[in-house]
Amino acid sequence: MNKLILIALFFTGLACAQITPEFEIGAKGVFSGNLNLNSDESSAVSDFSDTQLLMGLRQKLYNDWRAQFVLGLQFPDANSNLGEVFYNNIFIQLEDRTNIVKVGRTLAQTNLNEFPTLRDDDAQRFTYALNPFSDGVNTERDQYANVLEYTRIFKQRFFVSVHGENFYDSIEPDDFRLNSMGLTLMYRVPESQQWNRNVVQEVGLSYNNYFTDRPGYTDDFDASVKNLLFSTTINLKPDPINFIDFRFQAIQNFGWDEVSVLNDYFDYTRTESTALFGTFRYLRQKLERPHFQLAFGGGYKALPNLAIDSDQLLFIANGFYRLGENFDVGLQYRYADNKGFTEDLFGKSEHRVQLAIVYSFSRIFNKQFGDREDLLNLEHNYIR
Amino acid sequence: MDRRDFLGTGAASTAGMLFFPGNLLSKDAKDENIDRLVKPLPYKMDGEWKEFELYIDIHTHEPAPGFKYHTLAFNNMVPGPEIRVDAGDKVRVKFTNRTDLNHTIHWHGLYVPWRMDGVPFVTQLPVMPKNEFIYEFVAEPEGTHFYHCHWGTLMHMQAGMFGSVIVVNPDDPIKRKFPYEREYTLVYSAHDTNYIREEMNGMLERMKQRSFLMKEGRFTSDQWAVFDSKEELLDSMENGYQPPYLNNRRSISELPQAQWFTVNGKSYPSTPYLFIKSGENIRIRLINAGAETHHLHLHGHDFWMVADDGVPIANPWKRNTVPLTPGKTFDIIVEGKNRGIWTFHDHDTRKVTNNGLYPGGNLLALVYEDLPEDELIISKYSGNPMYNPNAGRTDMKEMPDMKKENMNGMNKMMFGQDKLPKIALDE
Repeated sequence: MNKLILIALFFTGLACAQITPEFEIGAKGVFSGNLNLNSDESSAVSDFSDTQLLMGLRQKLYNDWRAQFVLGLQFPDANSNLGEVFYNNIFIQLEDRTNIVKVGRTLAQTNLNEFPTLRDDDAQRFTYALNPFSDGVNTERDQYANVLEYTRIFKQRFFVSVHGENFYDSIEPDDFRLNSMGLTLMYRVPESQQWNRNVVQEVGLSYNNYFTDRPGYTDDFDASVKNLLFSTTINLKPDPINFIDFRFQAIQNFGWDEVSVLNDYFDYTRTESTALFGTFRYLRQKLERPHFQLAFGGGYKALPNLAIDSDQLLFIANGFYRLGENFDVGLQYRYADNKGFTEDLFGKSEHRVQLAIVYSFSRIFNKQFGDREDLLNLEHNYIR
Repeated sequence: MDRRDFLGTGAASTAGMLFFPGNLLSKDAKDENIDRLVKPLPYKMDGEWKEFELYIDIHTHEPAPGFKYHTLAFNNMVPGPEIRVDAGDKVRVKFTNRTDLNHTIHWHGLYVPWRMDGVPFVTQLPVMPKNEFIYEFVAEPEGTHFYHCHWGTLMHMQAGMFGSVIVVNPDDPIKRKFPYEREYTLVYSAHDTNYIREEMNGMLERMKQRSFLMKEGRFTSDQWAVFDSKEELLDSMENGYQPPYLNNRRSISELPQAQWFTVNGKSYPSTPYLFIKSGENIRIRLINAGAETHHLHLHGHDFWMVADDGVPIANPWKRNTVPLTPGKTFDIIVEGKNRGIWTFHDHDTRKVTNNGLYPGGNLLALVYEDLPEDELIISKYSGNPMYNPNAGRTDMKEMPDMKKENMNGMNKMMFGQDKLPKIALDE
């Protein structure tokens, strides 16, 4: 009965709502044919993993803050154990000019850069501080978490974020308690101004502390897995037609000394490691729109505490050509090399060639107010 | 004490609490009204030339209390200042572009030399960021005209780039026929503030890129979308150029839909008052600098149509509603023959709204200065017997649930002070 009353109240509330919110819809469709050589993973005729749909509803509050509800879903890898659809974004965000509060499931701050790869998880083991509670069956549990974040913005470009997360725990999937905390410092040029920064587009530093149960340790801090991330994006050629940037991220996992053998993914995320990853990107614009893009990069991950030499190497090169607004055709080559324990864990070295068509779209309907990073708000007085 | 006594006493005591006389008739109201009227642009003489200075910049504008948006404003005001000259004057306007966008000034209705007409790529090149252009012309013909930007006109005009130009005939036939001392300029416009914001942000971003390429000498016809001839355009298309109006570059849903309607840049309740006295004629110059038609209706009066696009009408006629179409100017004469406070508004009531809510928009009032302050008291002149014991319905019985002792407090709670007019924001 109580439920019925609540439902009735909910719909009454909808009927009386005075504001039709801004409605944002974002979609990304990634469809690739995969040719895997020397790999444990089979080739695929049509791989549409990482395809996702995002919906956002946003409006102004009475005190000039803005509130947004975001719901997003993603089609994960077929063998991910996540089902057909994974709800990767379900959160509410409150913000004003200098503050952002975010509650719900979304991308955790375990990655500070967006690298030009076909799919977000193509270099996952090098570009994310990995979830030490995950069994590694899928990549989503490393990327997404239930978060509680507060970010303070200084002088439009300095972001200080304190965040706590509940990462999915494969052993105790019903445990929703806080199991990670972190602090992130970012300097980031607003998107509209990124192309004409002489050198630095972005620099970030993040510390993440995962509250793991380390055998033999009672102190929470000592028992935790600790990661430190450094990231930067450098403009090598700040030019609106021929744009070149370099992106780099380093992740130091301080790990546990006692993990010297990789029996499973838990060990992999809990042993000491150093991951370096960087990409060069050339973007050609035509008629003030992207025309084509070429990128290549690579990563190296050292796991120095293991009993036998174990390290990983990754090389990625890709190119995308714009067929029309929102549609790109792309070709990506990836070589992954695993040695030592990592070969036992992830398989032997492999070559992968992917031919893909990508659709990407993001649009806000029923626009009602400007964004914090609009040029007008940045350069000509912020309108609350 | 019966009900009538109660109401009478209540009204007297409420009136005693008023700031008497009513605010609208006070000096403060007139002083404040100055900000709601167009501002004259001062000039200096340089030989025979009247020299004016106009600049354009991005400005934060507040058409009604609490709502702000970014505008393109001449001399930091919307509308731009009024240029007032005598017919035959030599006029020089030094125009400085302080924005990162391109602009021109078109002199709407004036017989300027064609190279001064302000149409980009037809009569002049655009005035680029941080550049200036000197417009020179002889002021003719007489009458009510206006100026506006002719670059990116759809956005730039509704973003605020317009202002009035009044060319005065020293021997004005209208003034001879309808002697007047006071006149008002009302510049109407309509604004899709969301379209303005999105377009202006987009243009600013594109111009940053274009300015960069121009400085490096790498700007091409394709990027600029400017061609010397149709042949050049066709050649360019042969080589892969896609005109920006094609379906593969733009969707059709992007035309603006105005949701703010202004007079002199203001929406109700910030719109101007038109003051008049009994027996006085006032001249009102109506200019539509927007892209919507306004069917302007004056309550309680007919007015004389005396000029059409600045041209004096030989045989003026009377109207009480006039359709002011985009680009049009009309001059009307109102004779002070019916003392009171009268609204003057768009009878397309969709345009008497702010952000979709009535009342708002271009609703304004004609106010008789000689209106006795006493007449503002609701309880003295209301036709509702509940407020006024002398109203026509003498047999009206008191509503049973309205206790006499509560009436005064209830009215005050619902309607505030015992006086008109009031500002109502949600009817």
